[in-house]
Amino acid sequence: MSTIPRSAKSSPPRAGVMLSRVAHSLYWMSLYIERAENVARLLDVNLQFLLDFHGPGDHIPEEHWGSILASSGGEELFDELHGEADSRSVTEFLAFESRNPNSILSCVFAARENARMIRDQISSEMWETINELYLFLKARNVTEVWADGPYEFFQQVKRYSHLFQGLTDATYSRNEGWEFIQFGKLIERADKTTRILDVKYHILLPAASDVGGAVDTAQWHAVLRSASALDAYRRFYVHEILPWKVADFLIFSDSFPRSLHYCVSQLDGFLHRILGENSARPRTAAARAARDLLADLRSLTIDDVLERGLHEFLLDVQKSLDRIGDQVVQTTMLFPADTAPEEHQHQQQQ
Amino acid sequence: MFLHLLHRTTFVYGGEARDSFNEVRLRPRDDETQSCRQFELRVSPGGPIRDYGDFYGNTVHYFDIAAGHDRLVIEAESEVETVPEAARPGVPAVSLAALMASADREMYAEFFTDSRYVPLAPQLWREVQDVLAGGREDIWTDACRLGGHVYGTFAYRPNATGVSTRATDALALRAGVCQDFAHVMLGLCRCASIPARYVSGYFLNFDRRPGEIEASHAWVEVFVPGYGWAAYDPTHDRPADERYVKVGVGRDYADICPVSGTYRGAPTNALNVEVKISSLDALTAVPG
Amino acid sequence: MSIFTAGYDRAQFFDEMFGPAGEFRPHYRRLAERLETLPEAEFNHRRAAVDLAFLRRGVTFTVYENTEGTERIFPFDLIPRIIPAAEWARIEAGLVQRLTALNLFLNDVYHGQKIIKDKVVPAAQVFSAKHFRREFMNFSVPRDIYVHMCGTDLIRDHEGRYLVLEDNLRCPSGASYMIENRAAMRRAFPNLFHSYRVRPVESYADELLKSLRYIAPPRSDRPNVVLLTPGVANSAYFEHTFLARQMGIPIVEGRDLVVRDARVFMRTTAGLVPVDVIYRRIDDDFLDPSVFRSDSMLGVSGLVGAYRAGNVALANPIGTGVADDKVIYAYVPRIIKYYLDQDAILPNVNTYLASEPADRKFILENIGRLVVKSANEAGGYGMLIGPAATAAEIADFRTKVAAQPRNFIAQDPIQLSRSPTWCDGRLEGRHIDLRPYILHGEKIVVTPGGLTRVALRRGSLVVNSSQGGGSKDTWVLQGDE
Repeated sequence: MSTIPRSAKSSPPRAGVMLSRVAHSLYWMSLYIERAENVARLLDVNLQFLLDFHGPGDHIPEEHWGSILASSGGEELFDELHGEADSRSVTEFLAFESRNPNSILSCVFAARENARMIRDQISSEMWETINELYLFLKARNVTEVWADGPYEFFQQVKRYSHLFQGLTDATYSRNEGWEFIQFGKLIERADKTTRILDVKYHILLPAASDVGGAVDTAQWHAVLRSASALDAYRRFYVHEILPWKVADFLIFSDSFPRSLHYCVSQLDGFLHRILGENSARPRTAAARAARDLLADLRSLTIDDVLERGLHEFLLDVQKSLDRIGDQVVQTTMLFPADTAPEEHQHQQQQ
Repeated sequence: MFLHLLHRTTFVYGGEARDSFNEVRLRPRDDETQSCRQFELRVSPGGPIRDYGDFYGNTVHYFDIAAGHDRLVIEAESEVETVPEAARPGVPAVSLAALMASADREMYAEFFTDSRYVPLAPQLWREVQDVLAGGREDIWTDACRLGGHVYGTFAYRPNATGVSTRATDALALRAGVCQDFAHVMLGLCRCASIPARYVSGYFLNFDRRPGEIEASHAWVEVFVPGYGWAAYDPTHDRPADERYVKVGVGRDYADICPVSGTYRGAPTNALNVEVKISSLDALTAVPG
Repeated sequence: MSIFTAGYDRAQFFDEMFGPAGEFRPHYRRLAERLETLPEAEFNHRRAAVDLAFLRRGVTFTVYENTEGTERIFPFDLIPRIIPAAEWARIEAGLVQRLTALNLFLNDVYHGQKIIKDKVVPAAQVFSAKHFRREFMNFSVPRDIYVHMCGTDLIRDHEGRYLVLEDNLRCPSGASYMIENRAAMRRAFPNLFHSYRVRPVESYADELLKSLRYIAPPRSDRPNVVLLTPGVANSAYFEHTFLARQMGIPIVEGRDLVVRDARVFMRTTAGLVPVDVIYRRIDDDFLDPSVFRSDSMLGVSGLVGAYRAGNVALANPIGTGVADDKVIYAYVPRIIKYYLDQDAILPNVNTYLASEPADRKFILENIGRLVVKSANEAGGYGMLIGPAATAAEIADFRTKVAAQPRNFIAQDPIQLSRSPTWCDGRLEGRHIDLRPYILHGEKIVVTPGGLTRVALRRGSLVVNSSQGGGSKDTWVLQGDE
């Protein structure tokens, strides 16, 4: 908890001093929109993949759905709410289920709530965009989506997210609030990349006979497309799609915007500005963690990672990101989230 | 009389409490009937304590405790000298008419109108008619009659009522503790057009009734023109004398709350109140 | 075709634009000339542009129906209300006199109470006022200023005399609309402004900030001033954010503030930052759950303690509301006389007090002919307009007044003045009032103009935004026409 500033005189009000509550809302608004977009992309890509390789009547192996659900973290809840995993129930769960805190609808709703609370901080276009996305989702249901074709639905969600980010870029002043917005987005983006990669790699441990086969290649296609990375990858590696090359690209590329390296390098910059870190040696635990993570991403190779175990490496990255996020929240956004009503104390006179 | 008083309030929380903001009214007053010679307020966990004088002349101490704590102890210790009975002037007989005509009555308007704990409801009006059916006498005598009526028709029963019981609720129950006895007497006096105020404090109780707790006490004062505020204790059916020590006066309990405040965190598991009063007369060695 | 169609009916009311013989009043002449040459289509085009601008800028207020809040644009009428300099000079002098007296009254009520002891205002009325705060008896407010901002509502009777309808000392709202309306009119009629030489209102926010800085505790030379709002759910939230932005100060909610050792701090990303002055748009009752209403989620525990210790200044101070109690209102002319030894420049509307036996009898016997108001409510809700009410409504109020006389006053209905207002394609007269905004810093400053509120429904006298009211821009001229 922050301590009272030592000077007895009240410090002059800084231009643009940012309330913790506002930072909190900007951070979560941005994070939730990013999450919603990622879920949309994930669903989109994997549904396409499954349609490409299975006929409408074919039974799709559970592990395919499992991997999708695991990427967004909801397997247990899904099992509670639904019997069988199929394209409809999974779409329902990940897109519209209000009981799933990570569904597209839940994320957009949360983003909107946060945006509403800081409405005077964001431009009206930003607010209107989130509001429209929310209304768009509320007006849809699974049946309609399947009737009209899910592709168009997911495109629309992505379009709204891109519009929101574009408007933010164009209309939000580059002040402390901007830093929190970017920080929230990047931390979510980095986290999602690790999950996409982790789950797929885990599931798709190639058996010698499978490597290079049509299914295998298509699955890695799907992984790349889940990160919107297919074209960029191809420009880098030309046409060979191999698991470790995909992993290498998504982890270490320093130019692709969704790669871990790129995200963490950006994040490190914002983090330093948010925490007011100016010197070469980081003072805070969060900055130290970011520094260490970035160092790894700059110096390790994919062979180092595979030797240690990709899954373990990705888990460690997730833990670092969690820690960084938590500590930033603790330091800068601390305000009573416990809105428990205050107790009153009294005594009767005898 | 020289009296020594100790009032300790302990809140025990089922976990951690923090951001606690409190006001206490525990310092005995100074007026024609008593002087507070010494007073000390101790709070644990400790911190700066500030004070101010409120509208009724009560001293209010206030403090806040930001850090987490699992109990709060508030201790007030004082030494008070009360004017002996023999040295107090008698209460004159002043008629109701004279009261209504008096210029001062208007100033005490809030002491004969509705207050939070004492709404002047029809039941109270009717009770007054009954009690004073034989005709009005002077203000003080009437007030004593009303106080005696409460004493005679109410049962002293702890746990029958609570800290937020209003006069009308207690009237329906015909039972309560001194807080309720006082509220009801206030209701009756006010319906009889007598300005009356709530007094909180302590009294040295040589003969406690079975089940009567040594605690802070409540009684009533009525305004008699030409005299001032005359005190009557309906719980014991007698005027307040030198054994009584006044801490706060007001319209009702809400104005004199000994300890009140808010905090965040775990609920209160227990609230313990200890009051110890003793006479120092045998040990008097005060110079001058 | 011009917007002035034939058949504008002045009826028996005092009309702002038209004199007794239907002629244009001198100070409206230029406006009338401009409007007469303006084709109706063009006029409508400008109206639509203004409405769209309001919508875009979010100049809204929230209306609550069945606990659901919807945001509405405050309806705006393009025909301004114009006040010549000489007329305004009198209004301004009257308002300054009134505020000076009210400030002295509040000082007295919370200290020596001489006016009560001298029996000019009955003790009972003061002590039983809902907003009399006993807790602040004998408390020294910074600079002895009790009223930093005040909105006094004025009406005109059938002879065009200005009367004071009521004073609003607890969070008076509408100043933001005054500023937005002016901006809208500038866009709609740019040339008219030049020819008229209208006195500006844009300095309001600056004056407000100056008066807030003026009461800061002495310890700092660059005091941290914040605006405390109940939040997005409050009907005036737009105004709160607007004013905060215009003044360049942080806008905070109760949960953004914390009190430590009787000092107030803001929770920021850089830690706790001290707060010196709070412009609070929250009612006394909800300010501090440890002292006032314990169920308030809007306030800050310990705020009163910090205020009492002199570590933070509040505008308006706690307890100011006793002077805008409608019962105390009836005594204001006497209050002015008592402290300033002057007659009130702006008279009150004739008022009957239900708490006085003779008045109460009169009210109960004549309730169908009177306007009856609850003594403590704002927004026009607890009000009966006798001549327009149903038998059931009248009976209801009669019972209420008899049961709780202290809570009611009654007034003779005034033939409120009217102003031409664009209604459904034609110009019709609608009743208006005027709320000028007064600030008390080092000096008392009255913003020239204020908010003219219009009762948009035909025949209605209720001008409040939440009940079908709208507004007009108010032009105070440098000269007389």
